[in-house]
Amino acid sequence: MTVQTLQPSVAIDHDAIAQFLYREARFADEHRYDDWEALWADEALYWVPIGEDPDPATRISYIYDNRARLASRIRQLKTGRRHSQEPASGLRRLISNIEIETRGEEIVTRSNFILVESRRGALITWAGQAEHRLRKAGGDFRISAKTVRLVNSDEPISNLAFLI
Amino acid sequence: MNAPLSATPRPIAYPSLVEDQRIHGSVYTDPAIFADEIDRIFSRGWVFLAHESEIPNPGDFVTRKLGLQSVIVTRDAAGGFHSLYNRCPHRGAVVCQAEAGHRRSLTCPYHGWTFAMDGALMGVPAPGAYEGLSAQPAGLAPIARLDSYGGFIFGSLGADGPNLTTHLGKAVEWIDQLCGLSPTGRIRLSAGWMKHKMRCNWKMIVENQVDGYHAPMVHGSLLAANETFASVRDRKDSSPTRVHDVGLGHTDIDHATDYRTTPDRLFRWTGGVPEAKLPNYVAAMRESYGEADARRRLIDGPPHSMLFPNISLAEMNIMVIQPISPTETIHYSTPVLLEGAEEMNARTMRRCEGALGPAGFLIADDAEIAELNQLGVANLEPEWILLNRGLASEVVDAEGVRTAGLMDETSQRGFWRHYRDVMSAVGGA
Repeated sequence: MTVQTLQPSVAIDHDAIAQFLYREARFADEHRYDDWEALWADEALYWVPIGEDPDPATRISYIYDNRARLASRIRQLKTGRRHSQEPASGLRRLISNIEIETRGEEIVTRSNFILVESRRGALITWAGQAEHRLRKAGGDFRISAKTVRLVNSDEPISNLAFLI
Repeated sequence: MNAPLSATPRPIAYPSLVEDQRIHGSVYTDPAIFADEIDRIFSRGWVFLAHESEIPNPGDFVTRKLGLQSVIVTRDAAGGFHSLYNRCPHRGAVVCQAEAGHRRSLTCPYHGWTFAMDGALMGVPAPGAYEGLSAQPAGLAPIARLDSYGGFIFGSLGADGPNLTTHLGKAVEWIDQLCGLSPTGRIRLSAGWMKHKMRCNWKMIVENQVDGYHAPMVHGSLLAANETFASVRDRKDSSPTRVHDVGLGHTDIDHATDYRTTPDRLFRWTGGVPEAKLPNYVAAMRESYGEADARRRLIDGPPHSMLFPNISLAEMNIMVIQPISPTETIHYSTPVLLEGAEEMNARTMRRCEGALGPAGFLIADDAEIAELNQLGVANLEPEWILLNRGLASEVVDAEGVRTAGLMDETSQRGFWRHYRDVMSAVGGA
């Protein structure tokens, strides 16, 4: 059996990356919209595909936000009149199974999440894998892409107006 | 009083629940009424199943719901369309679990009976012991009727009743209008479907889909956050936009009546994309239809219509409203891609994602309000829903088409008038 070891081409601090992912999750869970948006790079993609590895050019996604649309999403949430998040859902997510690799200057992380949403007397479970593409920015990171692969993306899903 | 605390008297007298200007709340909650709808509207009536472009090649299939029934819609080796109950004639297992795919044949996972894409039984494992026995059912059971218009395939579980053309009535004009935005006259629904779970009765989504009154309130957040959305249409009560009830439960919001007030501007229906950004599309439309007719099509844009009972030609999207139970609905949506206009299609995909589905800037809020509607009608008083807005100013033409202003409830009344006819008719739809 051959074990392939990924050799990082740049020095990476796994703990700092994990802390960044936890912070992003906390800002989303707590509806801290400005803080969450500030984690993103100037060029960005926020993607929730439907199905296994679809081509977004030919297959519809639940979310396929470029940076401008991501900004619209945040602006809409901040009006206080986005009914599907007014009142806001109660959210907490656990992140685990973090794997990290580097591709040139880019850091790619894959992690699993379980998110519980409390909405109008119901607890809704969301689960999947998040893939982040991160760039170093000073002592911190910026997200250039986040792909959220829901385990049930092929099935009917409830309102997803919060930040996943 | 509303169900479920007190059952509606049986047999259900629909004219006493569905009046011309008001609707009794129990029609959104009563399980017996839901069962009646599945029988009369979603089994014996015509229901959209799939678009031909979803199964373009022999061997392609999709599985769909017709009412509460799972059916497989297939294309056979000769290119013909079939719709088959998803049930093995041997011991009853679901034959096809996949939502879509391409196969030479369908094989039951239980004992391996194998069927051609037209449903015919091709073979069974170890057939010897069947010799000499009376004939088995020959294959997968076809539904009673299948027909299509403009590539839209419809099915019915009932052998009798009006044909598809009669069912569609004037709604064929909207299908023509939509397909006529393609230089070849053909659309593709090949991008897959968003599936949105909503905790409401299906009729609330139908009513809302052609409601011109709710946008300032329900979509106020987007009006505030998105300048294009706010400015591309006249959404005021004084808007030139008309709503129509064209009969047989088919209704629309006719945005072209607004767009035609600015005949120098094409493409307001795209969210105001400048003509200069779509030169190949414009050229192809001129080539196909001539300058004047191409221009008319590109000013008017697509329909915003609701076809009875549950498919909406929602501008550059198709929506299907699938009842699950009295209080659960799945809302399917897919973008309309135009053959011969690839320049448009990427924009259409991204607009569909922005507006529709569970994360959409529009439909997530419609779903939320529909859920509040459902919770609200479970409260017992007052018992009636009011649908009388604009009744006094409604205009009826010689063909019976009713026209009113953007915010009037003419479209909802049109749906309910036909609903009452279907639910009251001897023998159903």
